[in-house]
Amino acid sequence: MRHPVGSILVAWALLAATPALASTDDDCSSVSGDVVIAARTPQVDLYSDSGANQKALTLDQDKFPACAPIAGRAANMMLQVQVNGTKYWVEPHMVKYRFAGKLPAICRNLAMGSNQQTVGATRGLGEDCPKKGGPR
Amino acid sequence: MAALGTRVPLWFVFLVLFGFAVFQILMNPFGFSDMTQRYTQDISNLLITGPFVYGTAGHEQVSAAMIDEDTLHGLGMPWPWNYGAHARALDALLAYHPKAVVVDFLFVDSRPDPTLPQLVEEIQRYRKAGVPLYFEGGTELPYGEFPLRPELAKTGVPILDPTILVYDGVARQYPTTGSCFNQRPSANGTCDSLAVKVFKDVFPQYPVAPLNGLIELVWGTRTDATNAKWMHVTDQSGVHHSCNNDISFLRRIYLAFFDTSAVLAHCPYTGVIPVETLMRGADDADVTRLATNRVIFYGASLEGAQDKSYTPVNGLMPNVFVHAMALDNLVTFQGRPEQNVMTIWGYTISNNPAQIMAIVPVIFILSWIHTRRIRRKRARADHGGERSAAAEYFLDKTVETLWHYFAFALALGMGLLLALLVGLSTANWVEVVFVSVELAALLLLGATESVWGYVHHVAGGQPAAR
Repeated sequence: MRHPVGSILVAWALLAATPALASTDDDCSSVSGDVVIAARTPQVDLYSDSGANQKALTLDQDKFPACAPIAGRAANMMLQVQVNGTKYWVEPHMVKYRFAGKLPAICRNLAMGSNQQTVGATRGLGEDCPKKGGPR
Repeated sequence: MAALGTRVPLWFVFLVLFGFAVFQILMNPFGFSDMTQRYTQDISNLLITGPFVYGTAGHEQVSAAMIDEDTLHGLGMPWPWNYGAHARALDALLAYHPKAVVVDFLFVDSRPDPTLPQLVEEIQRYRKAGVPLYFEGGTELPYGEFPLRPELAKTGVPILDPTILVYDGVARQYPTTGSCFNQRPSANGTCDSLAVKVFKDVFPQYPVAPLNGLIELVWGTRTDATNAKWMHVTDQSGVHHSCNNDISFLRRIYLAFFDTSAVLAHCPYTGVIPVETLMRGADDADVTRLATNRVIFYGASLEGAQDKSYTPVNGLMPNVFVHAMALDNLVTFQGRPEQNVMTIWGYTISNNPAQIMAIVPVIFILSWIHTRRIRRKRARADHGGERSAAAEYFLDKTVETLWHYFAFALALGMGLLLALLVGLSTANWVEVVFVSVELAALLLLGATESVWGYVHHVAGGQPAAR
């Protein structure tokens, strides 16, 4: 007859040897605070800066780490996470994430009477000033 | 002369009325005809077609993703955005698997921007995902600039003409052709306008009718239900109002009677996705519904950007909604939008000849009834039958009123037939109604028999002996 404790120990060892199984659940409930749960898009762009000006690398969806704690949030919604020991900024629409708090609602107040007046000046954009005949 | 007038023949009555009608329709004295036609179409759109007749097929297929002042403030990203920021927004849209995306921005100036490769890469992502992506090209560039930055044009992304038409300051029509840029022209050497091109590519199941004139836009007036959730309107006293503008027909007529601006739709008909919601990437069922499997116009509503026009039903709106409404019309009318011309058996007839043709049967019917009435009156007089003066007076007044309504109904019926059968818009047939009522008045005044009597008298004619 086999020793039952031995069987249990072997099973536990197998479980512990599989990091993905050991640490991932569907909503990363084991991780507290703000967390990136998983990649959402087929490829995830990682940036060196929060302004998304310098792309560092692009990871395939299956290579993106799951349950990565969010180290920072920029005003432009970019999220800072650690990937392979390095901090990067990632676009929030490329990942599924969970925030501890609630995001503010998006609302708009439009001005009534906009058929009686219009702006009489051009936005000062330098070389990007709109020209006649097309949108910009 | 009066006796001579009672023998006016049908052909003369017809000719006089026809000449009057042709003069009014063709000459357009002081532009009054055009003005009244356009205003009638606007009122009809605002009170009848927009709220109660226009279908919703197009509305379920078209959305707009908008950058506005709140977007810039909320994201802490001042205008202008670099190419990378636009790439981010487009990538966020792509995640929802739209049917197609039209970029309503002009990337003309070759300004130094290290994030340009991100936008180039994004174009490749769209191609790989099989989602059509369209850019717009500059049309009035006097110094030989490329219509689109060469680095972007080199990707082969379709470049479309963003021109819209403004009639007396209001976006009522939409072109059917435009500059070709990198598109291959058709057999007649023309290229499709933006909305027509996107429609042909994305909705091939609807064959497009011959579009030889301009599209007459039918503007939807019911605010999109999702827009009404997160948009409000503030009046000049600072009071917030709901965007929901579902009101009954009678109330709409009542409010518009005193002030048509009371029934304007202040919020967009096209479903709007705020770009910051896209950038957030938050799961939102409304965004998913507005973005998935729809044609999305990615544009902006920014102070001082000057890319706005008045519409008949909204007031001042960003021009991205003009393109969206044109595509909406094409989808709703299944490739047969209302136009300012009619094409029958391969022949294109503009609105003036069409109106002249439409008024001919009306004139014939009015002339025939009128001459019959004159004959009966003459026969009664010849045989000594006279009614009392009071009876004659009431009969005349009744006939006068009914006659005008009859002429009005006849012409309206002709106009509606033109609208239903050949897609001629209200502005291009409504003059038939106005002219018909004028012709009825002419007949009631006895103008035609007076002219006949005078001409005969001058020519030495004598009334026939009894």
